[in-house]
Amino acid sequence: MAGIESAGSASLPAFPKGNAFRRRARRELGVGYLFTLPSVLLLFLFTLGPALYSLYLSFFSWSLLNHMHFVGWQNFVQLFQMPLFWISVRNSVVFALVVVPTQTVIALLLAAILNQNLPARGFFRLAFFFPAVSSSAVISIIFMWIYNKFGLLNGFLSVFGIVGPDWLGNPSFALSSIMLLNIWTTSGYFMVVFLAGLQAIPAELYEAAAIDGADRWKSFARITVPLLSPSTFFIVVMGIVGTLQMFDQSFIMSQGTGGPLNSTTTVVLLIYQFIFSYGQVGYGAAATVLLFLLILLVTLATNWWFKRKLDYL
Amino acid sequence: MVGSRNTFSYRLVRVVYLLILTLGALSMLIPFAWSLSTSLKPLGESMAYPPVWWPHPFDWSNFIAIWTMVPLARWFLNSAIVAVSVTVGNLIIDSLAGYALARIQFRGRNVLHLGIVSMLMIPFQSVMLPVYILLRWLGLLDNYGGMIVPVLVSAMGVFLMRQAFLTVPQELEDAAMIDGAGRLRMFWQIALPMVTPNLMTLALMIFMGSWNNFLLPLLVANRSHLWTVPLGIVMFQQEYFVNWPYLMAASVLATLPIAILFLVFQRFFVRGVATTGLK
Repeated sequence: MAGIESAGSASLPAFPKGNAFRRRARRELGVGYLFTLPSVLLLFLFTLGPALYSLYLSFFSWSLLNHMHFVGWQNFVQLFQMPLFWISVRNSVVFALVVVPTQTVIALLLAAILNQNLPARGFFRLAFFFPAVSSSAVISIIFMWIYNKFGLLNGFLSVFGIVGPDWLGNPSFALSSIMLLNIWTTSGYFMVVFLAGLQAIPAELYEAAAIDGADRWKSFARITVPLLSPSTFFIVVMGIVGTLQMFDQSFIMSQGTGGPLNSTTTVVLLIYQFIFSYGQVGYGAAATVLLFLLILLVTLATNWWFKRKLDYL
Repeated sequence: MVGSRNTFSYRLVRVVYLLILTLGALSMLIPFAWSLSTSLKPLGESMAYPPVWWPHPFDWSNFIAIWTMVPLARWFLNSAIVAVSVTVGNLIIDSLAGYALARIQFRGRNVLHLGIVSMLMIPFQSVMLPVYILLRWLGLLDNYGGMIVPVLVSAMGVFLMRQAFLTVPQELEDAAMIDGAGRLRMFWQIALPMVTPNLMTLALMIFMGSWNNFLLPLLVANRSHLWTVPLGIVMFQQEYFVNWPYLMAASVLATLPIAILFLVFQRFFVRGVATTGLK
């Protein structure tokens, strides 16, 4: 009995010596691999494999129709000399720089307010979360209608005597319009993550702070924000990965062109165009590799920043 | 918070909070309300500027017209086939792997766990080019398989199920082991029933993700009879881009299934997000 008890929680060598147990351990090994096999296989085939394959493809010139031929670093060299590539990088980076902090702050404020004892909390949580479960395609189309030159947004602005632009047709406003849409979609989702984090903070801390004379703002800044760091880290990383990958909204709102004047061409949209418009698989693969590097670097930097901040607490 | 509950400042703060929440909730719901409002207007009225909120009279004809203009029923069927297959596949595959990672001792388990979780850093958009080439090579373009197979497993799902199985008491399995139950039976008859709420959460998250997926059908389905609802609506938009009442009617219909699922099962949705955020 005791042997079986420990078999469940201890590691392999702790199995008592005996033929039955050894057989069991061997069988366990097989079952473990068998159970994880479908996941490992599919993830390798459609996630890790493709990531490695894009590295391989980035050294070849290929249009999907002709024969591949090896070109060395040529794709990267060409890409670096291509103004459109840098435009797409700038768009993606600016997009992430604006959207990630904004949605994180909005999500945190909404969560902090919603965590108070207020009426209709369930309704508010539902309303904020709903955009996050809706289809990005459908939402993009609804917002195209709202952003129309004679749409709801400009109708609203005209009440204040403001003549709004053609939001998606004007290169100075198109990317910002998509940013706003993105913040609108994801803030509620991250708010729920923050709410879960908030509920894990013990109420005694706030009571102690109040006894020490801390006001509402002080306990928010000194207790809530630092103790939420793990949630914030998760939200910032997910936000960065999500925004640097932005594709659906740009593609739909610009009808696949990244227009007007490439103002909404993101890196992922450019990769799509490299395959389906230009037939340049090598360029697309090289851009994919660079996108990975960008995401990896930014994530590592965020990780480092959060770690350092946590050390000082 | 500690402090007297009836002071003026306490009430003022509460009013301000409620005001912020109300404004926020309004801005979240207005786009949906506006699409519903537009879908109930004739074309002429939908173009009125400044915009009119209340359609008079309610015009339901857009909802009837779109079914004959585009194969909307077919798109719903496609979306349902794809989303249900993907959900069933994930429930089986993710929970098998999650169970093994949480419950079975085998060499390389920790490496596998780390490897699977790190796949979260490679979202689908970033590998769309190689995946497209792979699907083309496997002959999975222009059929349901191409929209299903690449998303049959989710690293997030495996992670979620592993966390769930870790909470199942070991004693139950020990008892079953003494009775001579094999791993498959222990998984199926003991562990799985204990994590039903987590399975619900997983099913909803996967179903919603698949139902809303736009990029994968865009890559895979060239012919319109294979389009799913989101892809079909976007293609519809590019063709009838001036008829907003039609487009909004289609948008309302596309949002409806998810809205119903969400309203009925909202606590599972919220739980899913909360769990994935708490790693």
